[in-house]
Amino acid sequence: MANVTFPFPFPEHLIALLPEMVVAVMAMFLLLFDLFIPKERKVLTAWLATATAIVAGVASLQVMGAGTMVAFYGMFVLDPFAVFSKVLICAGTALGIILSIDYMKDEANVGEYYVLMLFAMLGMMLMVSANNFITMYLGLELMALSVYVLVGYQRDTLRSSEAALKYFILGSLSSGMLLYGVTFLYGVSGSFDFKLIGDALADGGGSARAATLLGLVFVVAGLAFKVSMAPFHMWTPDAYEGAPTPITAFMSVAPKVAGFVIFIRILVDALPAVQQEAEMILIWMAVLTMAIGNLAAIAQRNIKRMLAYSTIGHVGFVMLGLIAGTSEGYAGILVYLSIYLFMTMGAFAIIILMRREGIQGELLDDFAGLSRARPGYALAMGLLLFSLAGIPFLGGFWAKYAVFIAAVQAGHVYLVLYALLFSAVGAFYYIRVVKYIYFDEARVAFNFNDSAVMQATVVVMTLVIVMLGLYPDPLMGLCASAVAGLI
Amino acid sequence: MVALSDYLIISAALFSLGVIGLFLNRKNVITILMCIELMLLAVNLNLVAFSHFLNDLAGQIFVFFVLTVAASEVAVGLAILVAFYRTRRSIEVEDINTLQG
Repeated sequence: MANVTFPFPFPEHLIALLPEMVVAVMAMFLLLFDLFIPKERKVLTAWLATATAIVAGVASLQVMGAGTMVAFYGMFVLDPFAVFSKVLICAGTALGIILSIDYMKDEANVGEYYVLMLFAMLGMMLMVSANNFITMYLGLELMALSVYVLVGYQRDTLRSSEAALKYFILGSLSSGMLLYGVTFLYGVSGSFDFKLIGDALADGGGSARAATLLGLVFVVAGLAFKVSMAPFHMWTPDAYEGAPTPITAFMSVAPKVAGFVIFIRILVDALPAVQQEAEMILIWMAVLTMAIGNLAAIAQRNIKRMLAYSTIGHVGFVMLGLIAGTSEGYAGILVYLSIYLFMTMGAFAIIILMRREGIQGELLDDFAGLSRARPGYALAMGLLLFSLAGIPFLGGFWAKYAVFIAAVQAGHVYLVLYALLFSAVGAFYYIRVVKYIYFDEARVAFNFNDSAVMQATVVVMTLVIVMLGLYPDPLMGLCASAVAGLI
Repeated sequence: MVALSDYLIISAALFSLGVIGLFLNRKNVITILMCIELMLLAVNLNLVAFSHFLNDLAGQIFVFFVLTVAASEVAVGLAILVAFYRTRRSIEVEDINTLQG
């Protein structure tokens, strides 16, 4: 008998992809499995999807053991940075699914919803491990296409499908711009590999430099869309308001992590040659992002829309870490994103709980008088909002502290003063919600049914934020070691 | 002999047409989908031209990925558009106005 060899050239590399394979297989399995279970037991799909997300996170940590791995001719890289962000993404997705269980239980065809969330997660996991524009693009599109559908999942309500349509149009525009920029980087360097592009650009001049700058501008614009930096933020408020609330929570966390991680990778590996120009573009965008996010949030009456603008404001603060361009800055970004994940998920869990007979519970007025009806929720929401505002000593304070210090150390003192000014503006609209909760009379009765899962989520998120506020050091240390090999 | 710059100019023109069409179009969402397709085709033309002049296959391989993703993107886009039409009974750009802003 002939000696049959495994036709795949590098089976040993498959281990690096293990978490992704688990997610892909489970997502396809659940798609079929869901057809065979009766409507009243669909919650099983949700729990299996949650389990998949958790297993994928744990598997990423396990696979990491051997140190940095580069697989498939440099297409895929598994380093501590990728693993840390994969764990964040898996945590964000798992929490997003848990928040959905109660919210989506009356929808038809709820099974595909969880499958789509898993596919979005798969896309993000590929994206953060990408070391090549081809892998990055595929991951990005897998994420984006799944999230477009998720935003429009309540297809009988006009605002959901309208939000999806708007998000789709602007998202496709941004992918087009990103790709157009990538073609110029390819034209100058002859490669799609981040590191090879970086090496080729290092000794470019003349017309090559012009093409590189063109590529830089388009790539930055395309990625800025995905993480909603101003002036590319227009889709954010509409998509956030129209999407089902758990999806709003999911997409204000997980895709932001993936977007910032790939942003860092491209800036560090592919574009160090034009670092000065990139820094200048980012500074102006950060100035704009902080102002638009924090000022426009004041005018909102819908809390989902307000949190959309607040996300834009937070993205502005996170950008300080990118601008600093040091290990401390990138570690600060991870600290910020991790803490932001818990704050946002907690706050959205409470917003979901506010949905009660006949009303969406999304208006600020719907929160009035919460403290008398439900002091526990009121306290949790108060703590989470104070944390989002960056009041010491809650988690959110250390998030801001980490990026601000990094930016000061890199010499951007004026920018940090500007950021401090706008975090004071931001505190105003967060604390206004606290005023509604504690000092206003209830206008609509609080007759919502408490689900144990949601209550547990709120309690855990609030506790995590308080704990991180008191002991931020372990998280800071973890983030610092995650970015250690990056530069 | 067609030079690299000729291809780049054509594709830049196509790309700009796509972007301009996307923003100036006040009529129909289908036109927006066509404009997005035009942008991606400009990208493909760029990739093929660079790939040819650099003697490097990677660019042409990327074109296949872009084509595939573009096809699925349009499928998702049309599905969302159908869902929108069912509730709004219109696909005019002016009628996408329920959410403020």
